[in-house]
Amino acid sequence: MLDPRSRLALACGAAGAVAASGTPWALIGEYLVLLILIGSWRRGRSYLRWLRLVVPMALFFGALSWWAAGALAQGGAAALKLLGLTTVFFLFFEATTPEDLGNSLVAAGLPFSAAFVFSAALQFVPVIGRKARCVIEAQRCRGIALEPAWAALRHWPAFLAPLLIQAFTLADELAEAMEARGFSRPGRTFYRDYRMQPKDWLAVAAGAGLWLAAIWWL
Amino acid sequence: MSSPSPFIEVARLGFSYRQESQKPVLAGIDLAAGDDRYLLIAGASGSGKSTLCRTFNGLIPHFYGGRFTGRVLVGGLDTRTLSVGRLFDRVGMVSQNPEAQLFNRTVGREIAFGLESLGLARVEIRQRILEAAAAAGIEDLLERAPHQLSGGEQYLTAVAAILALRPRVLILDEPFANLAPLATARLRRVLADIDEGNRTRIVVCEHRLGLTAPDADRMIVVCDGRIVADGNPAAVLSGDVRSWALDPPLAAAASVRLGLRPAVLDVGKVPLGGDAGRRLDDLLPNPPATGGGDVLLGVDHVSAHYGRRPVLKDVSFELRRGEIVALVGANGAGKTTLVRHLNGLMRPGKGRVAVCGRDTRRASTSSLARLVALVFQNPDSQFFKLTVADEIRVAPRALGIEAEDWMALLARRLGLTGLMERAPFRLSGGEKKRVAVASALATRPEVLVLDEPTAGQDLLFRQALGDLLLDLADEGRAVLMVTHDLAFAERYAARWLVLGGGTIAADGAPEQIMADAALMQRCGLLPTDAFRLKRRLEAADHA
Repeated sequence: MLDPRSRLALACGAAGAVAASGTPWALIGEYLVLLILIGSWRRGRSYLRWLRLVVPMALFFGALSWWAAGALAQGGAAALKLLGLTTVFFLFFEATTPEDLGNSLVAAGLPFSAAFVFSAALQFVPVIGRKARCVIEAQRCRGIALEPAWAALRHWPAFLAPLLIQAFTLADELAEAMEARGFSRPGRTFYRDYRMQPKDWLAVAAGAGLWLAAIWWL
Repeated sequence: MSSPSPFIEVARLGFSYRQESQKPVLAGIDLAAGDDRYLLIAGASGSGKSTLCRTFNGLIPHFYGGRFTGRVLVGGLDTRTLSVGRLFDRVGMVSQNPEAQLFNRTVGREIAFGLESLGLARVEIRQRILEAAAAAGIEDLLERAPHQLSGGEQYLTAVAAILALRPRVLILDEPFANLAPLATARLRRVLADIDEGNRTRIVVCEHRLGLTAPDADRMIVVCDGRIVADGNPAAVLSGDVRSWALDPPLAAAASVRLGLRPAVLDVGKVPLGGDAGRRLDDLLPNPPATGGGDVLLGVDHVSAHYGRRPVLKDVSFELRRGEIVALVGANGAGKTTLVRHLNGLMRPGKGRVAVCGRDTRRASTSSLARLVALVFQNPDSQFFKLTVADEIRVAPRALGIEAEDWMALLARRLGLTGLMERAPFRLSGGEKKRVAVASALATRPEVLVLDEPTAGQDLLFRQALGDLLLDLADEGRAVLMVTHDLAFAERYAARWLVLGGGTIAADGAPEQIMADAALMQRCGLLPTDAFRLKRRLEAADHA
């Protein structure tokens, strides 16, 4: 397995390549490669779930670009670019836990508190997602018509107020729990060892190569 | 020669969460703690037990604002001068809600976090993870994600994460509040094993005295921020603890009735000679026979899956007008999934659910709210109004059926009259639960479904809730409560549905179900103290 830092470098290189690609055909080609990777890692089901969130964003972004530039091809390329960029990071986070990424960055010199805030924030996205579902269900049980789920926007106080209060409470409880296990105590060690191996440096080089190649040819 | 100083020494301790508060949460506590093998801190909701424990590990005053007077010494050092980070390996605490304390990707990493804070070497961390996991009996969970575990497993993970630090004092706040009977027994065994040859001392805050008093060496009772009793649990429970809103273990209540001093804490050891049966009769639950009306809720051959995993398999039952029914079973038996089918939150993959004749597959949950109300375990998911009065009116307003006289009656019955202008999210846990029940009943539903209504609640709330349920049944409504609290279920529900492995394993009277030892074991349940005492009385009568 690659070190989380080299995976990050590889992902940044791939994202840079997608961002630097100018033609729709190049973007389609890159997206197909990403789909093949998702298929070979058997992540198709979770990718489809995740696409439900990303596709509307990509369509909106594409439509906006089409309207601004007045060219359909440019709108399509913008939508594909957003889809490709987010797919790169979908793959990265499927392969790397936020905790591993944060701890390996600490090993590279990032302050622990900054790395922890980053990884904890990423980990709490699904927790807040679960809380949001609980709020919607609790309000539906009381007769507030939150069906379909987007109707939550119409009844936003019933949806947002409990969610925000719970998010703040959770943040307080988390801070208390972390402090009660020595979060701010100096002299922390790490259970896992993060060391860059030759294969990791090769991956970093490959990431840089991808980016440069895209700038040069695409 | 002077005796050695106690590990935790509390002197004239006072605390308020707000500077301007007139009524302190703690009001002049003097206590020597941390040297008893197992110290039980009891008290009603809001009495100040959890606040007291937060002063032991320095969370108060360092993490909470407010007004702090007096002093707390841990190992001779004043907590006002020590940071929480310097105290955490001496006094470890597991709070009531384990979900909020588990913030790592795996159980193994969760245990490692505190050890990393101590700056230990990798080999030492590895060894302590394995030791703590073995002590908590969770070796097989080390690679699992904490948020995917059951409530009991999450609590044991949080305990293991603290045990690994080898603290001098381990504090557990309401450890049994959300645990199923078998998980409760498992945690009690874990705590008993810690005692064996370990220097760690245990402090437990808990309402459920039947699960803690028999294991404790010392018990203190906190009432209105003061210690009102301190001594051996058997001696403390020989007094009138109900006046402090404590629910004594059945064995202790029986001892008091029989004039035994100190009280016996195990129902198996209460002497039952002479006319004991007659004298103890009214201590034993005798739920009124309810129901017999028309069918309000019909569950007909319902099956459900999560992905490919079957959760409910061909479940069928009916709930009749005027019935109080308890749905019991181990964690993961499918109780919550079943309840979510009753008001259309989930649609059955196979089979049919009908509420007052309406098929839940053809109606939205919000439109069924007038017929069936569901009270969730966590009321925080629903509060969004600035006052309790407005919060209770939400559902009737949404459905266009507001009735002021019914609101006033509900408020009186649930003891909310004095709280109507308070903000709901600032109330205590018990008060929030009462508001949630009131807002569920505000639409006058035909069927009331309660999910773990007594978790973490004191005697006063349990009695008030029980009386309300009986009144609702008298009015012809049907009540279904999902609960691990078999003592409460036994007192108020004449019919139990036992869910095991996704099917209805039994449907009948509590006594009939508890008499089937094989069924109870298969479904992860343990008989109540009342059932055991009744059996002993019957045996004594026959003898």
